[in-house]
Amino acid sequence: MRVGLFVTCLADVMRPSIGLSTLDLLERAGCEVIFPENQTCCGQPAYNAGDRATAQKLARKVVSEFADVDYVVIPSGSCGGMIKAHFEDLFSDLSDYKTKAQWLSARTYELTDFLVNVVNADSFDTSFQGTVTYHDSCAGLRELGIKDQPRKLLRTLPHVELKEMSGAEQCCGFGGTFSVKYGDISSRIVDLKCDDLESTEADAVVLGDLGCMLNIEGKLRRRGNHKTKVLHIAEVLTGRNGEEAE
Amino acid sequence: MEITSQDFKAVSSAKLKDEKLQKALFQAKDGFVVSRAKVVKELDNFEAIRQAASDVRDHCLAHLDEYLEAWESRAQAAGTIVHWAESYEELNAIVVKIAQDNRVKKIIKSKSMVGEETGLNEYVEGHGIEVKETDLGEYIIQQAGEHPSHIIAPATHKSKEDVSELFAKKHDRPRLEDAEKLTHEAREILRPHFLDADMGITGANFMIAETGSTVIVTNEGNGRMTTTMPRVHVAISSIEKCIPTLDDFALMMRLLPRSATGQVISNYVSMTTGPKRKEDLDGPGEFHVIILDVGRTRVLGSELREALRCIRCGACMNHCPVYQNVGGHAYGWVYPGPIGSVLTPAYNGLENAIDLPNAATFCNQCGVVCPVKIPLPDLMRKLREKQYEKNLKSKTEKWSLKVWAYVATRPKIYSIVTRVMARAGKIVGGNSGRIRKMIFAGQDWTKHRDLPTPRGRTFRDIYLNSKKINKG
Amino acid sequence: MSARENILARIRSANKTGKASDVIGGSAADRLTSSPLSPIPDLTGNVTDRFKQRCVDAASTLDEVHQMEDVPKAVSRYLTEKELPMSLVCWPEFKNLPWSESSIQFESRGAIGDDKVGVTGSYCAVAETGTLVLLSGQDHHATTSLLPETHIAVVRRDRILKTMEEAWQLMRSEVGLLPRQVAFISGPSRTADIEMTLVYGAHGPFRVHVILVDE
Repeated sequence: MRVGLFVTCLADVMRPSIGLSTLDLLERAGCEVIFPENQTCCGQPAYNAGDRATAQKLARKVVSEFADVDYVVIPSGSCGGMIKAHFEDLFSDLSDYKTKAQWLSARTYELTDFLVNVVNADSFDTSFQGTVTYHDSCAGLRELGIKDQPRKLLRTLPHVELKEMSGAEQCCGFGGTFSVKYGDISSRIVDLKCDDLESTEADAVVLGDLGCMLNIEGKLRRRGNHKTKVLHIAEVLTGRNGEEAE
Repeated sequence: MEITSQDFKAVSSAKLKDEKLQKALFQAKDGFVVSRAKVVKELDNFEAIRQAASDVRDHCLAHLDEYLEAWESRAQAAGTIVHWAESYEELNAIVVKIAQDNRVKKIIKSKSMVGEETGLNEYVEGHGIEVKETDLGEYIIQQAGEHPSHIIAPATHKSKEDVSELFAKKHDRPRLEDAEKLTHEAREILRPHFLDADMGITGANFMIAETGSTVIVTNEGNGRMTTTMPRVHVAISSIEKCIPTLDDFALMMRLLPRSATGQVISNYVSMTTGPKRKEDLDGPGEFHVIILDVGRTRVLGSELREALRCIRCGACMNHCPVYQNVGGHAYGWVYPGPIGSVLTPAYNGLENAIDLPNAATFCNQCGVVCPVKIPLPDLMRKLREKQYEKNLKSKTEKWSLKVWAYVATRPKIYSIVTRVMARAGKIVGGNSGRIRKMIFAGQDWTKHRDLPTPRGRTFRDIYLNSKKINKG
Repeated sequence: MSARENILARIRSANKTGKASDVIGGSAADRLTSSPLSPIPDLTGNVTDRFKQRCVDAASTLDEVHQMEDVPKAVSRYLTEKELPMSLVCWPEFKNLPWSESSIQFESRGAIGDDKVGVTGSYCAVAETGTLVLLSGQDHHATTSLLPETHIAVVRRDRILKTMEEAWQLMRSEVGLLPRQVAFISGPSRTADIEMTLVYGAHGPFRVHVILVDE
């Protein structure tokens, strides 16, 4: 099965280990991974800023770059949501691309959803151990229905204990440019999220979205918490620590 | 009501530092969110009921003229006097005329958000007629000279101490500390007004076309008093409040109280059809309904149309992480929270509420609880698109977007730029792996949190290089 | 053109240009005559039991008697237990009940500000929510259930319906045109406007006592 990897611009620039881990997980599951070299961004920043024209341009680019795969896998609920839930709206007035968008949407999966529901992955090669808590990213949860999948995966790991935080589904306050435009409010929201996750005393908070990760990790460190690890689920499943650059 | 939404950023920042408000918001969030969840769980087919309500509202809006005409003819057949108003001023003037025609000196009021829109109380009092709010929350804020901060619980921003102080001052009585005693004091103070007011004004949760009725959904009993005791009753409504049938009303009632306060039904549901009839022993001799259209028809013809499904439950704001932390006053108009972020610019002009649709994370916590499935984040995004079209965005934002668009559509340039960012970012972060201060837009990030640094190389770089190595 | 004409015209034109979606379809006239029902939750089980449970959930209290004649006894029980005055006003339909035998002073009239206890009947009751349905009209004072601190409502077992929809159906067949006011009452008046603290006895009654009659 030919699986296109959409690494996301954030992971590409800020945290390649997410891409590397996703690659490992897909290959371990027996997929032939295709990485369209010219991929850049799914267009969500432009879409959410109201710049529909740019969003359409970028979406058309994605649609044509991933035209020749069986699946597209994305280690991000928000980019996944953009492609799966919003591309069709972007092309509502362009019937040709609309069909292509629908085709793409049907084949696009967020990583944990793909691992659980398509390739039924249930064992992983990871050295990670400890207690973890999981933050449900809003787009993953409410646009793509990602809730049980990451938890199912975490429960397969023999040396990992999952502790739910209160308010796991509560927004972390990132919201893209919201985090800088309304920084005071964003800061308060993420402070509350940090309170909740710290109450679990988990070794690590695990997430499926780099936007949330940067926001939460940034706040934890600013608050003086250098202990709680902030990890993408792909990294936990492959035993990476997030700093890898090769 | 005067609009101050342009102060959103400054006001919201101030509200974040207001400890008393923060405590009140925390209490309210707990109350509303938890109790709604509990009572919605009891409905085994909640999603089907919600979908049905959304469909009924859409159907009604699609035939709104016919349903309003049917409502009007049945209402008139029952003796209701129907008025239509196209401006806030017009509605207010109609109310005053009715009052003057009936030699009204005192009005008791059961809350009306449309009345807040029109600035009714101020206008009526300006004509020398006394207006007494009777809903406890509205009474509190009337005494305090404030506007409501929530559409269901108008005084949610006030602490018990605030109310103690207020009542002691305004009632000229010894200070009480207990919520129950304060409530009963308000009861005692307001009771004589119920008995001797000349006119009652209420809102209308719904207008039911099948029977020409208006209905209000309340808990305190003041709504019942206001629709029964005075000699004249005026119900203030707007076009989108109309629903087709009594059974459609029963459907809405399965959702409204649950979504609003976590009750299976509100204490009182009072359906009025016309004034006192000859067999009635009580009731007003005259019953008027005023139907307002300000902005509604414009929204009806726009891509924001789904917002008109709103049944004013308040669930969206109760579940919104922004509202939960800044409260309702920051939004600067009648309707706060997500629905307010849509209606305020829609009814008052984009340029008067630029922040509101932008001060959202698009988490959709609102959309999933909306009993009529209004796609609130999508509507806010449409407003952002309109702002972009009309050039209402800041120069910085437009400029950054253009740069990003330029780079992201050119893979070769993108790959270079990102490689530089990855390398430079890591260097700036140094040993700590964190960036603590940045310039330009970065400032607004690093003011509140660190930025974990990039790792020195992009994924693309690593992947393509390793492929080269493997090939070579 | 009047405001009315302008508004209706704008609605028509908005619906032509706007993206009017109507999954349900059908005409307004059809819906108004057929009044189709929407999905309701699963409400299996004994209707009376559900009504009793919901009344209690709504903070009303409940008692049961076999026949109307026994109502004064039940009222006396309640007033004694709650240490309330043994004097009330009632709807005319109850004026011939043996009140004096239970040492209760009564007057068959509407309530005024000073009355402490009001006794009403009910048109029907809704089990789903523990709700009393009272219709305005001949011999049905609205003040009796509104002004006194205590409201006692007599409900006949055979008038307990499952849902509000069933109540509308009954009204359509028995009453036809709706009376001036249909009042749905579900427990004592309440508010939580001060710091979300629930308080009973806002402007309406502090307590509601439901007496279920078999006959």
